[in-house]
Amino acid sequence: MKMAAAEKKQYRGFWRGKLRKRDLIGWALMLPSILLFTFFVWWPLGSNIGLSFFASVGFNATRFVGFANYETVFHDPIFLKALLNTLKYVGWSLLIGFVIPIFLGLLLSEVVHFKGFFRTVLYFPSMISGIAVVIMWSYLLDPNAIGPLNAIVVALGGTPFLFLSDPHWVIPLIVITMTWRGAGGTMLVYLSALQTIDNSLYEEARIEGAGFLQRIHYVTIPHILPTIRTLLVLQIISVLQIFYEPLVMTSGGGPNGESESLMLLAYQYAFLDAGTASHASLSSATSVILSALIILFTVVYLAFASKQKKEPENA
Amino acid sequence: MGEPFGLSIGGTMKRHVFLSLIFTAIGAVFCLSSCQSTDKITVTIGMWPESQQTKDLAMFDVWRTRFEATYPQYDIEGAPYTYSVDTVNAKAQANKLPTVFQTWFTEPSMLVANNYIKDITSQLTSLGWLDKMDSSMRQALTFDGKIYGVPRDGYGLGLVLNVSKLAFYGILSDVDGDGKIDLYDKSGNPLYPTTFEQLYEDSQIIDAASDGTEKGFLVLSANKNGGWQFSNFAWNFGAELEKEGNDGKWVGTLDDPKAVEALQWVQKMAQEGLLLNNVTLDYSQWYTRLSSQVDTAVVGNDVLSLAITNGGMSKDDLAFVPMPAGPHGDRYSLFGGTPFVFAANASDDQVKGALLFLEYMGRSPETSDFSKQAIVEGDQVALGKGMPILPTIKAWSDQGYLDMADEIENQYINVNMNYYKDFFDTIYTIRHSEVPYCAQDMYTILDGVLQSVLMNPDLADCQSLLTTANSTFNSQYMSKL
Repeated sequence: MKMAAAEKKQYRGFWRGKLRKRDLIGWALMLPSILLFTFFVWWPLGSNIGLSFFASVGFNATRFVGFANYETVFHDPIFLKALLNTLKYVGWSLLIGFVIPIFLGLLLSEVVHFKGFFRTVLYFPSMISGIAVVIMWSYLLDPNAIGPLNAIVVALGGTPFLFLSDPHWVIPLIVITMTWRGAGGTMLVYLSALQTIDNSLYEEARIEGAGFLQRIHYVTIPHILPTIRTLLVLQIISVLQIFYEPLVMTSGGGPNGESESLMLLAYQYAFLDAGTASHASLSSATSVILSALIILFTVVYLAFASKQKKEPENA
Repeated sequence: MGEPFGLSIGGTMKRHVFLSLIFTAIGAVFCLSSCQSTDKITVTIGMWPESQQTKDLAMFDVWRTRFEATYPQYDIEGAPYTYSVDTVNAKAQANKLPTVFQTWFTEPSMLVANNYIKDITSQLTSLGWLDKMDSSMRQALTFDGKIYGVPRDGYGLGLVLNVSKLAFYGILSDVDGDGKIDLYDKSGNPLYPTTFEQLYEDSQIIDAASDGTEKGFLVLSANKNGGWQFSNFAWNFGAELEKEGNDGKWVGTLDDPKAVEALQWVQKMAQEGLLLNNVTLDYSQWYTRLSSQVDTAVVGNDVLSLAITNGGMSKDDLAFVPMPAGPHGDRYSLFGGTPFVFAANASDDQVKGALLFLEYMGRSPETSDFSKQAIVEGDQVALGKGMPILPTIKAWSDQGYLDMADEIENQYINVNMNYYKDFFDTIYTIRHSEVPYCAQDMYTILDGVLQSVLMNPDLADCQSLLTTANSTFNSQYMSKL
């Protein structure tokens, strides 16, 4: 749409330094937010990127080293493990954690009686502190006979499972605990999207002989697709930053680094390896790599989404 | 057109006056809160108790009053700070570290490398404390010939025993029939495990008798705690983990055949199901496990009270004995401790004030009445809280101080010393400092080795794991010294 002549004039006036009183008020209102963003977001962000190119003592940059910190990080055997594990977390979370909230949302939208009760019960885990949840699950999943789940297994005549001490199961189990806590919140978003679907569409589909699954396929899914897309990208971004779950549940990435994540590695460089030269710079480099990964995922998703959006228009 | 949000542009005189008043008021508040100037030197104390520790807080207030009466030029302020690796960087960067705070002996090297703490050699020299400091602890606080702290006390690793559980499984018993479980037979020989082989045999007894629900020994393997404790196992099997070469360069020797032997002992324990299934246990869990799942564990004497306060055990069920000896007769105890260190941005006067205040806390080598009083008050408060009072490994070797401290300590010890005497009788002869270089990095690598063995005890190749670990340790850390 073309810019109106008056707006154009005002726009030109702004860049020529002719700030009007009204603009001043606008800027004055935005100033606190800009200052806060600058101080708490953009400045630390810029400093972090800058630090990743410098050697450091403590958290103070000392001399420019180019990409040396990135090279060190890439040569650290635990980095590749952490990178791979982070992708595994994303994969498992899509497999386990992505479908369950949609399913719960659909189920709840069909419930007629005690809807509020079920909504509260399903949302309840989201109200518990994340740390409390992972401590509780760590206790439940204790690999010895004292662990509640293993106590049941032993009582039934089985041998205790290793749970979080099993390198093959540690990531899926962590993802299950994350899903247990987070699914309720996501389910509510789906539920609200489902409630915006016009009932007449379902009725029309029924009249035309559509069964339950067909109604889901032809009416429900297309209507909640934008929500699914948004939550998909948000979930990927969130899981890429997984941190405190492995920190607490597997004492910092065990067994033998099998649950190590990039975010956890950045924390370990910054604080636990603080005796290592340029530890803060290595942490910065790791977090920049993680950010790049997140940006990459987002860009790919946006490109994919815009392509899909264009296709129906072109068709 | 009306102005948005009801604001008028241009401003009336009233508005100008109103805004000026607000800015003046804000300025006045800032000035009142921060522009107050006194001639006193403020010293902030990080060891100050938290507000909920009312008994300790009252005691510190008494010490402050006494100190400020003697040294009116100082103003002592409590700034409770529990050291942690997560917070020290942020506090140091923001210049918010207290003038003095306590940490662990593993930390000063990192704190010095990052310029977070201050060299206090000249202050210690002028106070005459340098030669009174325990030589081993002094060495741990010395970097490039400069001293960066004052030791509070030391610890040595030993074997903590759940006495009643060991008696239940027949390993200990009431030998003399006095109703108390004994650690020695009638000839005075220890009934508790004194070698790794005995520890293995006792673990077999416990495992068989408890049907596998209880284990004889706790092996840690996470958060550097596994490597930390394994280094002591390896020394006791006769290994050296770092050596100085002919060229004067230090190298890691994690693949020492004796270290392999120590790892094979862990493997044997795991293969036979004599250890807990967890492969990510760390030092924060020993006291809860000791009260329910394991009957012995390797810990420092400085944390024994956690078994009572956090583990819910009775002090009568606890005993603490020296580390088991290895198959070749070697027996060492990893030795460390807690030092007081001083913020890098503290002035010389502040450091001096903090050091002088240590005397009023009973933590200096001085034998003044203030010092005696403080030690007595510390023990009385601990007794009032129902804490066990054990002997301590003293930070100062000055005979006058040792006589005074021992005399007071002996009056307040409230545990059965038969359960502790072997440890305290031997600690000064078997103590072994941690490896001189890259200790934390070595612990991380050894954690990985232990986890590999615990995860797959039947297939793990100890020799190969330690060879790979040694190669990584030397190439990534030792070669960069």
